[in-house]
Amino acid sequence: MKKIRPIRIVIYIFLVLVAILYLAPLLWVLLVSFKENAEIYDNPFGLPAAPTFDNFTFAWTAGKLGIATLNSFIVCVSSLILSMIIGSMAAFGIARLRWKFSKLSLTYFLLGMMIPVHCVLIPLYSRFSKMGLSDSLVGLIIPYVTFALPVTIFIMVGFFESLPNELIESACIDGATIYQIFFKVCLPLGKTGLFVTGLMTFVGNWNELLLAMVFISDDMKKTLPVSLSKFVGPYNTNYTQMFAAIIIAIIPTIIVYCAFSNQIVDGLTAGAVKG
Amino acid sequence: MKRKILATLLSAFMAASLFTGCGSSSSGTTSADGVEEITFMFWDDLNATEDLISLGYKDTIDRFNKDYEGKYHVNVVTTNLEEYYTKLNAEIQGGKAPDVFICSPGPQLSDYVIPGGCAPADGLCMNLDEYLAQDGWKDTFTSDAVFSQQTYDGSVYAIPLNTAAACCFYNTEMFEAAGAKVPTNWDEMLDACEKLEAAGYTPVTVSGGTAWCLSMIAGYLCESEGVDLAALADGTASWEDGKLESACNKLLELSKYFQPTAVGDTNDVATANFYNEEAAILIQGSWAIGQINGSAPEFESKCGVFQFPGVDRIIAKSDSLCVSKDTASPEACVALLKYFTDDTAQKYTAEVGGKIPVTNVEYDASKAPAQLSYVMDVFSNAKGTFGFYNESMPTTETGAYFDDEMVAVFLGDKTPAEAAADMEAYYNENCRQ
Amino acid sequence: MDKLLRNKKAIIIFMAPGIILFTVILFIPIVQSVIYSLCEYEATSLTGPKFVGLKNYAALLKDDTFLIALKNSLFFLIFSCVTQLVMGLFFAGLLTNIDKGRNLFKNIIYLPCVLSSAALGLLWMFIFSPKFGINKLIETLGVTDFVKNGPLWLMDTKGFIVLPMWVIGFVSLWQYVGQSMMLYMAQISGISKSLYEASYIDGCSKAKSFRYITLPLIRPMVATAMSLNAIGSLKFFDLVFNMTEGGPNHRTEVLATHLYTQGFKYNHFGYSSAIGVVLLILCLITTGFINKVVKTEQYEM
Repeated sequence: MKKIRPIRIVIYIFLVLVAILYLAPLLWVLLVSFKENAEIYDNPFGLPAAPTFDNFTFAWTAGKLGIATLNSFIVCVSSLILSMIIGSMAAFGIARLRWKFSKLSLTYFLLGMMIPVHCVLIPLYSRFSKMGLSDSLVGLIIPYVTFALPVTIFIMVGFFESLPNELIESACIDGATIYQIFFKVCLPLGKTGLFVTGLMTFVGNWNELLLAMVFISDDMKKTLPVSLSKFVGPYNTNYTQMFAAIIIAIIPTIIVYCAFSNQIVDGLTAGAVKG
Repeated sequence: MKRKILATLLSAFMAASLFTGCGSSSSGTTSADGVEEITFMFWDDLNATEDLISLGYKDTIDRFNKDYEGKYHVNVVTTNLEEYYTKLNAEIQGGKAPDVFICSPGPQLSDYVIPGGCAPADGLCMNLDEYLAQDGWKDTFTSDAVFSQQTYDGSVYAIPLNTAAACCFYNTEMFEAAGAKVPTNWDEMLDACEKLEAAGYTPVTVSGGTAWCLSMIAGYLCESEGVDLAALADGTASWEDGKLESACNKLLELSKYFQPTAVGDTNDVATANFYNEEAAILIQGSWAIGQINGSAPEFESKCGVFQFPGVDRIIAKSDSLCVSKDTASPEACVALLKYFTDDTAQKYTAEVGGKIPVTNVEYDASKAPAQLSYVMDVFSNAKGTFGFYNESMPTTETGAYFDDEMVAVFLGDKTPAEAAADMEAYYNENCRQ
Repeated sequence: MDKLLRNKKAIIIFMAPGIILFTVILFIPIVQSVIYSLCEYEATSLTGPKFVGLKNYAALLKDDTFLIALKNSLFFLIFSCVTQLVMGLFFAGLLTNIDKGRNLFKNIIYLPCVLSSAALGLLWMFIFSPKFGINKLIETLGVTDFVKNGPLWLMDTKGFIVLPMWVIGFVSLWQYVGQSMMLYMAQISGISKSLYEASYIDGCSKAKSFRYITLPLIRPMVATAMSLNAIGSLKFFDLVFNMTEGGPNHRTEVLATHLYTQGFKYNHFGYSSAIGVVLLILCLITTGFINKVVKTEQYEM
């Protein structure tokens, strides 16, 4: 019944072109990162004449991307775990506990989605530097957790509301405390939801530039996006090292994406569809 | 069980982040075991840097710590260039001024010498006249002129370590082929450009994408027109007296000979145009020597240097060291400064670092890049130095504003007269009482 | 059970961490930000903020760079709302109509969304630099002297909306269109197949059924995706910062970069807070507007 229609061929050709538009720049970075700096002036597009791994070694050690990667991991994983715990607790409180202001507090959290981080940058910075939290990873984790809360709460409230009442009732009859109900019954059931929001939080914080740039000035505590700018200097820029640095910065998220692309897509749509 | 794992993980991460959160905050001039400790604040990470000059500083400090073991010891507080002054100010405001710190001459140095602003009410930097007079220290320097940007009210407040000068680098082969002469005044410069262009070369390569590069040329042109920045800052002169306008007109005249992509080229690309032999003249700071010779070693023999035509003085920049007047160990600080200006350090500056030494040190000219000696010739023939324009204005923001105005003129967004009016309005609003 | 769920202590334990964090890190600073915006407050001054009324806002109106930034931010807002809607729907429509390779293409188009804008900004800056990137490629492909005569993508300063803004707009579309596409695809795949089958039986073409079935049914999603785009484009910082840093001569400054420069390069905390407040107001107005216009219209269908 199905026959190949010309329109289909056109669509596929178009999509292949689009895919090239998406992949070519990334492949090109990869290519250039194996070249020597002088080569990009005469031969920017060809294969590297003598492929060298030096750019990566330099970026990783002297460019401090090794430390930056570690910092990014510490910051992202800590804020991921904290936001999941705090967020799902609040979501449970909103969705399941019975109190007057539960709906109002949900609105309060959701307002946070509309607020750009820029508006709180200066008060936060001046307070944190007085408290000695500037130039420390803790000072970065705290706002990251806070800004991840609205989405986490939003998705988890939807999830906890969808749990059948009987589940909680039966746990109640078995004599469980409210904390046991949350940690042992509801939370394990919400694993997928948590995983999905966690991925989104992780990717978002991994790429965050502005807060990190403002709060961190010590080279030893910089996260990856901030460290990248170091390769563009006022007096000279070493492009090949910069490209190696770009590769180092994007590889972790590419890996995460390849491994969990379906969950990431679910998370994205879960957050929006219910709105 | 799972909860336990989660909790353990969490606390591990918290501990890890707390651990990394606490930096070492060693400070102060406290003596332990009879060793006088001093702090030295610097704008590059001495353990990771690839910058040849910074590496030389590291050697100097290591030498000092070794030679004075048991007596003095320097602790280095490092940061990076962008945040250096912010951090320095924070330390000063917190009452923890470093004993010795590096600084660029110009408004930054003034901030720390002149009371008020960033410095405490009675100033921050120590007057070094007395120490310079002892043991003939001052006589080791090439001339008193090296202190011109470090001198306030007749007294020296900082020690220059090396000098970089802004010059015109040129391709000798292209000049020969085009029959162009090395210009000594403005008309000859235009004439040379004309000949180069007629011979099919791009006469000048310049970066419009990196604002300070263009404003460096504008600075030279302003100097040739007799612009007096000090008089402009205190309001006894006006930007609208026609001097800036004619400087801008000269800039526009010269810009006809720029490479076609000058607007967008960054500093690196502009320099690469020169050593890849796509353009005949590069107007740059002498720090570009390392970049040129490093990227195109065979080019060294073809590269000449001349002074920006029509100007008597030369734009120069020196790294300078200041001593805090509140230091508990002034002797140790001065001893350290002397290590930075001793023969070993200054020899390194010329032979490896490629910058102009500040003392009369004998160095092996064959080891130093060829262009350095040309730059030094230009330097010794000049009638004095002045700072980069954007670094010689009352605040860094003013300097950035000047850079922007010059780029706007170059792009044709503003006429020279408009730029002059803008500068005057900006000075009236922000810089004068 | 009711008693268990009304336990005051439990409610406090569950809600307190979130609410405290949110209040301390988000809401109190917003109030502070509004207060600072009415003060003269320099980061370097030792005295702290000093109340000056609306002086900062008056200064904003006289600040050329702010006006450029505002213009550019509004341009981004409109540009990204329109292009993301059109291209997002277009890709979603295409991909829901093919079977082979749908996931592959979907994943490729979505990929840049998870990558660091800071890194991609540096990459695109290089691609659009006059000397090596796209101009050089075109020259290599045979157009002579294109490096000399080609457009200065990120440095041109002619026109009301300068070329660099269009370039950055294109890059942001490139990076984020995947997100809109995903949202629309999720919604489209939720539409019952029988509706389409019925329309084909009635003789509708694919294009017609897209117009009369798909579009009306995904309208709520359009509102959501648009609000996301709108806030995202007003917050826009990373790409601009790493591609042009607001240059040449502040022509590509947006509100976020201007705020950053004023606050953290020149230490004008009060002035910078005023820009922040403007940004916040814009965000609130835009989301309110989109939700009102796009969402309510669906009931008129």
